[in-house]
Amino acid sequence: MSNATLGLELVGLTKVLGGRVIIDNLNLTVEKGEMVSLLGPSGCGKTTTLRMIAGFLIPEKGTVNVAGKDVTNLGPEKRPSAMVFQNYALWPHMTVFKNVAYPLKIRKMSKSEIEKRVHEVLTVVNLMHHKDSRPGQISGGEQQRVALARALVQEPDILLLDEPLSNLDAKLRVKVREDIRDLQRRLGITTVIVTHDQDEALSISDRIAVMNEGRIEQFSTPQELYDRPATEYVANFIGSLNRLEGGYSDGQVTSGNEVVGIRPEDVTFSKTQVPGSHAATVELVVPRGHFYEVYLKRADASLRAFISIDVPKVGDTGFAKVNKALVYKDGKLVRTA
Amino acid sequence: MTTTNTVATKEGFAEIKTAKLSTLGFFMALPPVLVIIVFVGLPIFVAFIFSIGYTGGPNRVISIIGQDIFQKNKWWGTPDAYLTVFRDARFLPDLALTLVVTFLSTFVVLVMSLGMALYQRIKGGKIASILSMLSLVPLFVPVVIAAYAIAQFYNGVGFMRTFMAQFGIEFPIITATRNAIVIGTIWTSLPFAILMITSGLQSVPNALIETAQDAGASFMRIVRTILIPLAFVPIVIAGTFTAIGIMGSFTVPLFLGPNQPTMLGVEISNFFTAYNRPQQSIVMAFIIFAAASGIAVLYIWANIRSAKQSGRI
Repeated sequence: MSNATLGLELVGLTKVLGGRVIIDNLNLTVEKGEMVSLLGPSGCGKTTTLRMIAGFLIPEKGTVNVAGKDVTNLGPEKRPSAMVFQNYALWPHMTVFKNVAYPLKIRKMSKSEIEKRVHEVLTVVNLMHHKDSRPGQISGGEQQRVALARALVQEPDILLLDEPLSNLDAKLRVKVREDIRDLQRRLGITTVIVTHDQDEALSISDRIAVMNEGRIEQFSTPQELYDRPATEYVANFIGSLNRLEGGYSDGQVTSGNEVVGIRPEDVTFSKTQVPGSHAATVELVVPRGHFYEVYLKRADASLRAFISIDVPKVGDTGFAKVNKALVYKDGKLVRTA
Repeated sequence: MTTTNTVATKEGFAEIKTAKLSTLGFFMALPPVLVIIVFVGLPIFVAFIFSIGYTGGPNRVISIIGQDIFQKNKWWGTPDAYLTVFRDARFLPDLALTLVVTFLSTFVVLVMSLGMALYQRIKGGKIASILSMLSLVPLFVPVVIAAYAIAQFYNGVGFMRTFMAQFGIEFPIITATRNAIVIGTIWTSLPFAILMITSGLQSVPNALIETAQDAGASFMRIVRTILIPLAFVPIVIAGTFTAIGIMGSFTVPLFLGPNQPTMLGVEISNFFTAYNRPQQSIVMAFIIFAAASGIAVLYIWANIRSAKQSGRI
């Protein structure tokens, strides 16, 4: 890959905090204009990684290259990046206009140029009507858009978003994440977003880096991550999983020393037997909105299935079939069946 | 019918409960209000009417004992006591000294406190914590002892002059000068100001500073455009409390200041006890009170400004 197409490159990044290795020899390459999520549970090192990209933390080892330039030893004020913080971090004593204009004033732009660019970016995030409001006078979603505008107005080589949606309610979160994705696509800006919400990551990312204990477990497209999780950790973290210890053959869990992962949506239940299905009894049915979570008892294993049509009742008997299984040995994917 | 009666009864109980609670709240708030009215408000009122010539009633005894007492000659009183004070050759230099010392000391205290608080906020660490603890030492040293120590340190045969004399340098005698008062008031005022401003700066979230850094702001720009505006109210509180405290200070100017001009706190005491001119001393007190009220307006303005910025009003 040539440097011209590189948005971000992290090479052998290592960070130690309080005597503990937080990031362990991390490598990541993001293409120009790509949107990548760092996904993982709390404490996995995703925010630390983002803060090293932004320049708030200096790595013990490794390099950070943004748009082909080594920025490892530059402070945040000198890096070609802009960050949107989790709690928006808007300056409450400044109006929306002044918040967005602040980075441009530092760059000593003319008043007319500042006004033009701030108006442009506020129009993009649909906040022109609030330009004279203070952050305390607008909603959480609007505050988030101001923070985004303040980052975008800098025209950074890379946009860094630190759990930007975690303070919004569920409905607004969906709306704002769509807005962010739309903007990112339109502006073609390389973006790294930190999140612990797999739905968020799956729905807006070109690629996702699933992190665990300071390392990247898998870096793939959302579909690949879901369909072929490379490790048991990723399979458990992304989506829902029936995790069964043993072996797998002929659609059944057998004895063995592997781990079988079966997605609940890959389990089907029918009254009539079809090839590969085995007798099962319905033990529990839990409504989950647009589908039902059905707990099935088979001779070889207990399975959960997500079913949205022809939902059985508790006590019903029939046949359950596993359409796809992921088989792991020592935590690594060895085959799909 | 039964249901309606039950609801009505419940509402009735709720109303009685609310009324009881508000009465209880009122009686809980009453003692401090009464103390302020009886022990502060009333004496201020009595003193004020005395200063404009109401010499009867509660002011009768002091009017008989004191000298140069002016009695009211118009229905609202008389300005004579005020005019006498302003015509007194001692008063205006005293007032000027009081205001200059207040301004200088407050300015130095604010600059020093801000420096210390910024160091703690930005740098942190062990050295910052030690310095911060040391800066609070004056809180635990009685003013009279500190003032005496400073007087001894800078007087004609004090440590500074003796020490500098070893190198052939004649260190000036600072005791009994305006500068000695400034040094003393800085000593006494610094800890409170540092506490106030440090807590103000500590309450500014890291993310607000980091966002400015990320936007490309230098350290000084962050201080000027983010930290000081966001800690503006605590800074104003520290400034107003320091200034009002210094304006009415007595012990430090008495020990460290010159005999003439002297600060109004000392002069008020002189007029009241040494010169037996209680009416004039009260007039001076009201003039200081008026100046302090001007500073208090600044405090109120800062609070309103902050409330407007955060959208509370």
